[in-house]
Amino acid sequence: MGRYTIRRLLQLIPVLLGTTFLINYMVWQLPGDPFAGRCGQRPCPDSYVSAMRAQFGLDQPILLQYWQFLKNMLSGNLGVDFNQVPVVTQLADAWPITIRLALLAVAIEAVIGISAGVLSGLKRGGFIDNVVTISTLFLLSLPVFVTGFLLQWLLGVQFQIITPTVSDEAPIMELIVPAFVLASLNMAFTARLTRTSIVENRRSDYVRTAIAKGLTNRRVVGVHLLRNSLIPVLTFLGTEVGSLMSGAIITEGIFNIHGIGGLLYRAITGQDYTIVVPIASLLVLVYLVSNLLVDLLYGVLDPRIRYE
Amino acid sequence: MSDPSVTQDLIHGGEGPAASVVSSSNRPRSLWQDTWDILRHRKIFWISFIMLILFLLMAAFPSLFTHKNPDYATLAKSMDPPSGEAWFGYDLQGRDVFARTIYGARTSIIVGVLATLVTVILGGVAGVLAAYYARWVDSILSRIGEIFLGVPYVLGAIIILGTVAPAQSSPDRVTIMAVVIIVLAVLGWPILMRIARSSVIQAKHQDYVQAARALGAGPFRIIFKHLLPNSLAPILVYSTITIGSYIGAEATLSLLGIGLREPVISWGIAIADHTSYIRTGAHAMLFPAAFLSLCVLTFVMLGEAVRDALDPKLR
Repeated sequence: MGRYTIRRLLQLIPVLLGTTFLINYMVWQLPGDPFAGRCGQRPCPDSYVSAMRAQFGLDQPILLQYWQFLKNMLSGNLGVDFNQVPVVTQLADAWPITIRLALLAVAIEAVIGISAGVLSGLKRGGFIDNVVTISTLFLLSLPVFVTGFLLQWLLGVQFQIITPTVSDEAPIMELIVPAFVLASLNMAFTARLTRTSIVENRRSDYVRTAIAKGLTNRRVVGVHLLRNSLIPVLTFLGTEVGSLMSGAIITEGIFNIHGIGGLLYRAITGQDYTIVVPIASLLVLVYLVSNLLVDLLYGVLDPRIRYE
Repeated sequence: MSDPSVTQDLIHGGEGPAASVVSSSNRPRSLWQDTWDILRHRKIFWISFIMLILFLLMAAFPSLFTHKNPDYATLAKSMDPPSGEAWFGYDLQGRDVFARTIYGARTSIIVGVLATLVTVILGGVAGVLAAYYARWVDSILSRIGEIFLGVPYVLGAIIILGTVAPAQSSPDRVTIMAVVIIVLAVLGWPILMRIARSSVIQAKHQDYVQAARALGAGPFRIIFKHLLPNSLAPILVYSTITIGSYIGAEATLSLLGIGLREPVISWGIAIADHTSYIRTGAHAMLFPAAFLSLCVLTFVMLGEAVRDALDPKLR
């Protein structure tokens, strides 16, 4: 286990280097002028452009820029944006909100998705199964922003149950609907995964043994069946934590939440790439690390899986 | 499913799915024949199939559904609600929402299908090469795939599109569609590579491939005749569902202002244009959103029907 962990950590390094290089390359080297719209209607004066290019090292070759970026990241220096505001302070404001939103979304996914999946998997072909199958199909085909605008319009404008946009402090109560929207797609996946897993395991020998031993239905399902069936579901939920954070860009935009997604989106539309690169790299790191943790968790949850 | 024997089976009325398992005929039944037998008894397949035909007709001949010009604007009618004259009402510029929704189908379907095609080609070639040559080719391609998978989808698309075609720029119709298609495919190919790779690896050590090699077949023949057909089923299922999700992704990017934009007519743009008018005229946004969701639903439903029919576990 220990050796496996170390090997996976070592494997993480080239992927992380490659991904961050890709981000750096895409942001700085693809055609497009970062200073095109920064000075209002007129083009920026040459002195400003050359000063900025010198400050952010844009006149250097890409590999040198990347080396500088790595050195800054490793020393915890995220730099300043084009308006000379430190990226760290912006990140510190936005990070807690997005974490709250993502965790709430995972909780909603887990509770609703797993219970719907278990209920439909236990009575395959029954009424609940059909309802769950059809509603997950609908959830899967609704793009996140459609769900978002629809709920915002229905609950916020028509019935006025919620405020259509979230305030700056983003308390938990106001985040419930956005978190539901963020979770909607994965909720459907979770329900389906749980269902398939339950259906498969119901036919297994250990479940038959448990029933033959005369255990109550409650114990067979709750202890024997559920524990084994939830392994793939948990791993799915884990891997999705990372992608939820970047998926939050759209949800945060719709509900005007000042989290990482909103920050990133404003930075990209404002072409302030110095914020984009460190935040995107950070999101990738979260994504890769959560994938790694899930792989390790897999071995803990399922003793049949042995690493070496 | 272009297998001619399938159509012959249809004409002569093939056996039902139950009979197919213990088929009395001597001719061995292919996977596709079994699949078709199951499919044609499934309601969900026919529903999605009819919807698919409708959407394809809409994309190919929009004038069959509406005689109005989608670009003709009457500002006096701006944001008028649905009426007998204009079923879906008018948008902000006073253009007919119904006509624009019908014409929007073409863009969405072209982007979805072409992006999936590029994804399949990129991912399929990489997957087959990685599996067939194994060793360092496999390691390199897999690592590159991991790097691209490491960039979350929305994030990657926003970064590339935000740099290549920022919201302030106004590229022409073909350019922006091509850029969106390439971006979707570039970020999506690693998943397809994994599917193709694993199914080719499974088939690679089978006796019939060894036999073909022993008979002197070259790598080209082995790959195309013996290995590729094995990965066809999972690739087909995945790409049908992918068309749906790419259509949704295109709309999402258009919504963010960095995907398609005027003068292209698309559902995503229609939704994006009217998000700020949700209080006064939700119709201009809800109708395109409904069509978008229905179109995604069609492809997802079709993909799932085919997958259920192909997957022996669920039979």
